[in-house]
Amino acid sequence: MSVWNYVVTAHKPTNVTHSCVGNFTGPQELNLIIAKCTRIEILLLTPLGLQPVLDVPIYGRIATLKLFRPHGEAQDFLFIATERYKFCVLQWDVETQELITKAMGDVSDRIGRPTDSGQIGIIDPDCRLIGLHLYDGLFKVIPFDNKGQLKEAFNIRLEELQVLDIKFLYGCSKPTIVVLYQDNKDARHVKTYEVALKDKDFVEGPWSQNNLDNGAELLIPVPPPLCGVLIIGEETIVYCSANAFKAIPIRPSITRAYGRVDADGSRYLLGDHAGLLHLLVITHEKEKVTGLKIELLGETSIASTISYLDNAFVYIGSSYGDSQLIKLTLQPDAKGSYVEVLERYVNLGPIVDFCVVDLERQGQGQVVTCSGAYKDGSLRVVRNGIGINEQASVELQGIKGMWSLRSSTDDPHDFFLVVSFISETRILAMNMEDELEETEIQGFSSQVQTLFCHDAVFNQLVQVTSSSVRLVSSTSRDLKNEWHAPAGYSINVATANATQVLLATGGKHLVYLEIVDGVLIEKKYVQLDFEISCLDINPIGENPNYSQLAAVGMWTDISVQIYSLPDLNRITKEHLGGEIIPRSVLLCTFEGISYLLCALGDGHLLNFTLNTTTGELTDRKKVSLGTQPITLRTFSSKNTTHVFAASDRPTVIYSSNKKLLYSNVNLKEVSHMCPFNSAAFPDSLAIAKEGELTIGTIDDIQKLHIRSIPLGEHARRICHQEQSRTFAICSVKNNQTGAEDSETHFIRLLDDQSFDLVTYYQLDAFEYACSILSCSFSDDSNVYYCVGTAYVLPEENEPTKGRILVFLVEDGKLQLIAEKETKGSVYSLNAFNGKLLAAINQKIQLYKWTLRDDGTRELQSECGHHGHILALYVQTRGDFIVVGDLMKSISLLIYKHEEGAIEERARDYNANWMSAVEILDDDVYLGAENFYNLFTVRKNSEGATDEERGRLEVVGEYHLGEFVNRFRHGSLVMRLPDSDVGQIPTVIFGTVNGVIGVIASLPQEHYSFLEKLQTNLRKVIKGVGGLSHEQWRSFCNEKKTSDTKNFLDGDLIESFLDLSRGKMDEISKQMSVPVEELCKRVEELTRLH
Amino acid sequence: MEGFSSQPSDSNQAASGASISLQNLPSRGLFSAPVLSLNPEYGRMRVCVCEYETSLPEDEHIKTNQQNILIRSLKLKKQKEKGDSSSKDVKGAGAAEGSRKRVAERVLDRAPAKKASMQPRQEESSNQASSRDFQGLTVERLRALLKAKGLSVKGKKEELIARLRSSSG
Repeated sequence: MSVWNYVVTAHKPTNVTHSCVGNFTGPQELNLIIAKCTRIEILLLTPLGLQPVLDVPIYGRIATLKLFRPHGEAQDFLFIATERYKFCVLQWDVETQELITKAMGDVSDRIGRPTDSGQIGIIDPDCRLIGLHLYDGLFKVIPFDNKGQLKEAFNIRLEELQVLDIKFLYGCSKPTIVVLYQDNKDARHVKTYEVALKDKDFVEGPWSQNNLDNGAELLIPVPPPLCGVLIIGEETIVYCSANAFKAIPIRPSITRAYGRVDADGSRYLLGDHAGLLHLLVITHEKEKVTGLKIELLGETSIASTISYLDNAFVYIGSSYGDSQLIKLTLQPDAKGSYVEVLERYVNLGPIVDFCVVDLERQGQGQVVTCSGAYKDGSLRVVRNGIGINEQASVELQGIKGMWSLRSSTDDPHDFFLVVSFISETRILAMNMEDELEETEIQGFSSQVQTLFCHDAVFNQLVQVTSSSVRLVSSTSRDLKNEWHAPAGYSINVATANATQVLLATGGKHLVYLEIVDGVLIEKKYVQLDFEISCLDINPIGENPNYSQLAAVGMWTDISVQIYSLPDLNRITKEHLGGEIIPRSVLLCTFEGISYLLCALGDGHLLNFTLNTTTGELTDRKKVSLGTQPITLRTFSSKNTTHVFAASDRPTVIYSSNKKLLYSNVNLKEVSHMCPFNSAAFPDSLAIAKEGELTIGTIDDIQKLHIRSIPLGEHARRICHQEQSRTFAICSVKNNQTGAEDSETHFIRLLDDQSFDLVTYYQLDAFEYACSILSCSFSDDSNVYYCVGTAYVLPEENEPTKGRILVFLVEDGKLQLIAEKETKGSVYSLNAFNGKLLAAINQKIQLYKWTLRDDGTRELQSECGHHGHILALYVQTRGDFIVVGDLMKSISLLIYKHEEGAIEERARDYNANWMSAVEILDDDVYLGAENFYNLFTVRKNSEGATDEERGRLEVVGEYHLGEFVNRFRHGSLVMRLPDSDVGQIPTVIFGTVNGVIGVIASLPQEHYSFLEKLQTNLRKVIKGVGGLSHEQWRSFCNEKKTSDTKNFLDGDLIESFLDLSRGKMDEISKQMSVPVEELCKRVEELTRLH
Repeated sequence: MEGFSSQPSDSNQAASGASISLQNLPSRGLFSAPVLSLNPEYGRMRVCVCEYETSLPEDEHIKTNQQNILIRSLKLKKQKEKGDSSSKDVKGAGAAEGSRKRVAERVLDRAPAKKASMQPRQEESSNQASSRDFQGLTVERLRALLKAKGLSVKGKKEELIARLRSSSG
């Protein structure tokens, strides 16, 4: 890889952090607005459900999302504040359907300690001011003037330093805040302050309340007429106002989110840390609060935000599991739950770890993530491909072939579906109720296997069986003519189009027939040198019913030949090489270029460019699509031709920018496919797979498909082992026994196909699994799972004891082969020169695998390297070791074989708190750190002095805005020699927000071109709310802010394709590159993910 | 704390309680169709690409007043004091927001004003003004006045006012 990197999102963030409901897109329209960290989704609520409006990328991490209604406005405005102290107020322009910036600004202070407990942003219910708590001891006020315009902000000193929550109170003549805080004795209190806008200061408020629940963390302001505030603790809920105080005990829980149900504020939904949903009711007589009531409703995902929508529908936004749309029911279900989950919205976050596996060895990675947390923990299998939307399916075993036929030549739709089995042929047709029903075509032979079927001209149908070719009227369905195979020979393979039939019989005969009204005419017959394995006469010339060329695949000499029609002269012969016979050939045209596709019995596909006049075959290319024989069929989707390759790895072949592209179809083994464009199922395909026949439509673009494997516990590490075909995961089970929470840690072994639990190993009490690795050692042919653990004892700050466990998978069991105690937590394990490299607290330790006299094995310490704070992340390449430290950035170590020692070679002297590292190539290393930045460093082996050589030079810097937990080499798309992007090395990353991204190393020339494009795009594509792209992507942590260097924002560059033509032209002019060329180059990049 | 253990899951009672509490949930007729489309992700949401200007002119960007809070509060206090203690014609008192230079000027202005207030004539007028509305002054300000007269600064506000009144009266 290289220092010139392109960063792009393959899967957008799905962690829902905020949500709110209001009249944003129109005075009469009710909207749900969802924030997913760096994106906002605007949805419209309708009687029919949720309707998407807009997906908005924000150049910042959203800290506050609030709707408010300024005086005199008919609809709500949206206030957004970002973690990097920018804010904006957005309004929806009904006419243009766009977002307008009403106000924007920067609320950072030069001095000030950023709050630990998260930024707070609140808006006065009477719209007099916006309050922000961003720095300890300061409350920032952005006042509105009487026209509703925001004015210069100012700070007010807030005496409370440990603020937990601040809210505005309703119904106060002066804007009044209520502050929940902790004092230096860890007791919690609330206090109210009036904001005196003129004096720019606080005035002691109407009331305060001391010594609350020790776990009080959340304030809910109650609207008029009741007013006051609810204080939600872990064991009590308190209602407090100037003249009332009511409290109720609750079962111990940590409330994470609340949603107001009624406008008068008498009912609230509360979501807790265990995903339990409660209803809190304020009972009142007139305007006097008489008490509180809490009811358990049921279980949801662990909520981070709750929005009551309408008509008992509630949106549950989650950071730890899938977000949900639920309905509250008046009567409990069998389990006593009042919650009905109607829809789940996939959330991959937090991705704690993942691995990239290529189970089909296609060069296309399938990402398996450890997603979610606590009870919502799961594995997610993420795979790029084309999806099939199943519309109907029926169980049918042993399908040998399928063809669709029309009821008349002019009918635009298919009517019959012919399904062939080993000793019979069945015909299905659409009945009056639009259902598929078995029917009959009298003229067809139904007691034998059908080899081929096709519509023919003059309202006729053709059926080829092993003994004859039958011509049948599609209207009367009677046999009109039959051609019999010569006595003693049977037909082996056949193909046809509307006017021609080509078939091969035993004895190396090739027979050509033509179809006219009511008659089959034998035009020509030749004897070839070898037996024929496959045929095709798909018309690719000007006449859609007649082909002038025939493609023939041969046994024995393993070749493909082109014959001319009708005279059956051989034009071309191409030897395929190897010993695998061609099993399916296909003539087809993509974007005006004719191709011959030839599929082999071992899952390989060859493609040639075909010159239709000379029959010449050029540009031979070979790709691997699977391991089983492939059957090729054309189909059309959106008026363009595609080819479906049915095999154990079904693939769609299509063309873009005159290049053939291959996309996985998101299905397991498919044996046959035929297009079935019927009136009831327009543009559908009939697919035979695993004992069933499915009818479905196909997606027109490939996208990521996600499969969930719920675990009910939190998976923290994952690793794949090819030899045992298993995944091993380290997981934590939270047990709730009474009031005590305890954790149990497991190593679980799962089957890599079915994801069924094979076996598990339970760790000791207090023992956490920190790392897992599948590896083998020198002088031992077994492949082991190695697990690094730590004993996390409540009285210790840092673990001082851990273990390395070596397991062997035998007969579905995890056999503990060896065990080695360590003096700390084993944060990382790597296979290293046939040995095991472990990162243990501040030390890097190398173990060798030795054989004891009694034949047992053990890990024996060989050498180590001290000098880290905590060596958390380790990657190796050859003898080099790259260490990501807790707070000392990246260092490079080298293992010296002769001396048996590990030495430091170089380090980055910046104080970066690392969250992941990866080696890009020999010299360039990639790191992600705590403040959501990415950076690359380069080894300086040519440095003149030791000092220079000992320094890792920072070569790239970028603000990703995402917390990266893991980098892995690999690709989400199929890597084919055919495409340019096939040569670009990529690293995949996974983040807390559920983002899966790709970092691609580009050649320098390509990089500079795109950098220029990015610069031009910045001028044309503006940040929502006036947020600057340049500032957003600038590297920024506690210590410094610096411009992006050697990283490109792929998300911005790829949005070029969404621009209007006018803007594209503008950029094209600036770049002096034609629009088509720009589109082509950007489209190529989109194929990286 | 006693009701604590009885609270969790008394199933029957809780069940009927929740049913009652869940009655009359707000509804404006949304989500009312028998078949609902609830997963908009299938509908491929339009992604916002702003081809138009989103930024506001530089002078409309909102920033935080960087003046030190302490200085600001002192300044505001002084301004108030000035408004209270001296007549409106004192230079600069009306101009609220000023540059640092102005602040300095005003501080300089204030010194002679304070001195002037020591003079009997000024004192008289000030007393005349203040005797009318001692009630409107802060305790701090009252104390300052008392101190200027060399009187005790102890006691409640009423006492301070009474003391001031008696001294001037």
